[in-house]
Amino acid sequence: MFTNATIIAAGQSQYTRRPEPRQTTHTFIRDAVVAALRDAAIDASEIQGMAVTSFSLAPDTAIDLAWRLGLSLRWLLQDTNGGSSAMNMLGHALRGVETGAASPILVVAGDATGLGGYAKIAANYNIATREHLAPLGHGGPNSVYALVTTRQMNKYGLRKSDYGHLAIAQRAWAAKNPFAVYRTPLTMEEYLSAPMVADPLTRYDCVPVVAGAQAIVIAHPDRCPHGRAPVRVRAVRNSFNWDNQEGEGLQTGISTFARELWKAASVDPGDVDVASIYDDYPAMVLAQLDDLGMIKDHDLAAFAQREVGERRKPINTWGGMMSAGQPGGPAGGLNGIAEAVLQLQHRAGDRQVKGARRAVTTGYGMTLYRYGGTAAAAVLERME
Amino acid sequence: MNRGVGIWRCTACGAAYFPERLLCSRCHGQTFATEHVTEGVVEEVTVVRHVLGQNEWGPRRLANVQMINGPRITVGLRDESGPGTVITLFRDGNAPFGVAKK
Repeated sequence: MFTNATIIAAGQSQYTRRPEPRQTTHTFIRDAVVAALRDAAIDASEIQGMAVTSFSLAPDTAIDLAWRLGLSLRWLLQDTNGGSSAMNMLGHALRGVETGAASPILVVAGDATGLGGYAKIAANYNIATREHLAPLGHGGPNSVYALVTTRQMNKYGLRKSDYGHLAIAQRAWAAKNPFAVYRTPLTMEEYLSAPMVADPLTRYDCVPVVAGAQAIVIAHPDRCPHGRAPVRVRAVRNSFNWDNQEGEGLQTGISTFARELWKAASVDPGDVDVASIYDDYPAMVLAQLDDLGMIKDHDLAAFAQREVGERRKPINTWGGMMSAGQPGGPAGGLNGIAEAVLQLQHRAGDRQVKGARRAVTTGYGMTLYRYGGTAAAAVLERME
Repeated sequence: MNRGVGIWRCTACGAAYFPERLLCSRCHGQTFATEHVTEGVVEEVTVVRHVLGQNEWGPRRLANVQMINGPRITVGLRDESGPGTVITLFRDGNAPFGVAKK
């Protein structure tokens, strides 16, 4: 557990499906940084470290961003691990503050690829994709996770409507998030009749790409603005290439460390009030929750119907990426962390989960060939 | 188009791979023999009907395929083969495709 390093603040830019020509990855990141610094009541000149992830910063890198932001630093990191980049950066930044390497540290994620730009990234994601998937007309990750979803449906006896409960519940949360790009309530009828994208995935199963950015501030709890509870990270764990793509993709690397994570945090899955689960696709939300030990008897269908559909268990309370939007790819993991911070600081507005004290957040991504190769999770707690 | 799809088999432990690896993930051997696998069994199928940024797009069929005596790979289907169908594999460039075995 970290004692000197906590998350004290969060900020974000506007989210938009169609950025204006003057809006770039850099300007969205700037807006998020300014919002996070204002939220932390910290001057930019005080920042000693920065971690950044983005698919659309190139040819610039982290040092270019520091220069453009006017930040003189002694700790700098750029992460390229897709949907678990934010979790990875969080761990590095916490250790950086905890050990005295730098404090405060900004953790930033943002993208503004545009729809065409995202399509190019999707076709050139790695060598395996460029050479062996894109020539098939795979069209990006939708087709990959369509196949994973079919496997999951067959193995666990899931119906299409089971995934609908996740999409509908997250849309209901998004209605209370002014930054979400889709806030109109979604019905099961609308979900089930949506246009097919890649069988069995329909429109509401596929995460909408947006332009936007997020930032959080890691610092000693003494730096937390007066009257606000800092958020302590009780444990964080990562996994990279856990099964060499030799499995079915129905488990993630979280399965390799979940027991250790909960033990290190001295928290049981049932003690969690809020969960931010990386939701590039509904199937992967269920897979990660199951890996975390949060689904009783591995009955994914019953969990979707009762815990999500009926009881509205607080999962992805900002609407998740499926309704709020996914900035590019790697930036997606940071919005779940930022939401957990707001919930634990009791600053989540209309979507506040009453008395929230503990949260679990995850990251998942980097589709190597048949499914994702990176995963991470953290247990967060409100410091009283 | 070339008949069969190339895979890489570790000469030390026999593990089979697609795409090519630098080291065997099971024994970390670094020598591989290439083989051509000509058949596989379709496990799951998807039809890609819409792609971001593409206005003129015809549906494409993709499948997860268990190669006979080889690894699972993602294949472009050139016919209506469904789950359980034994398909003949061929290569177009570096990409694997398949049609139902006749």
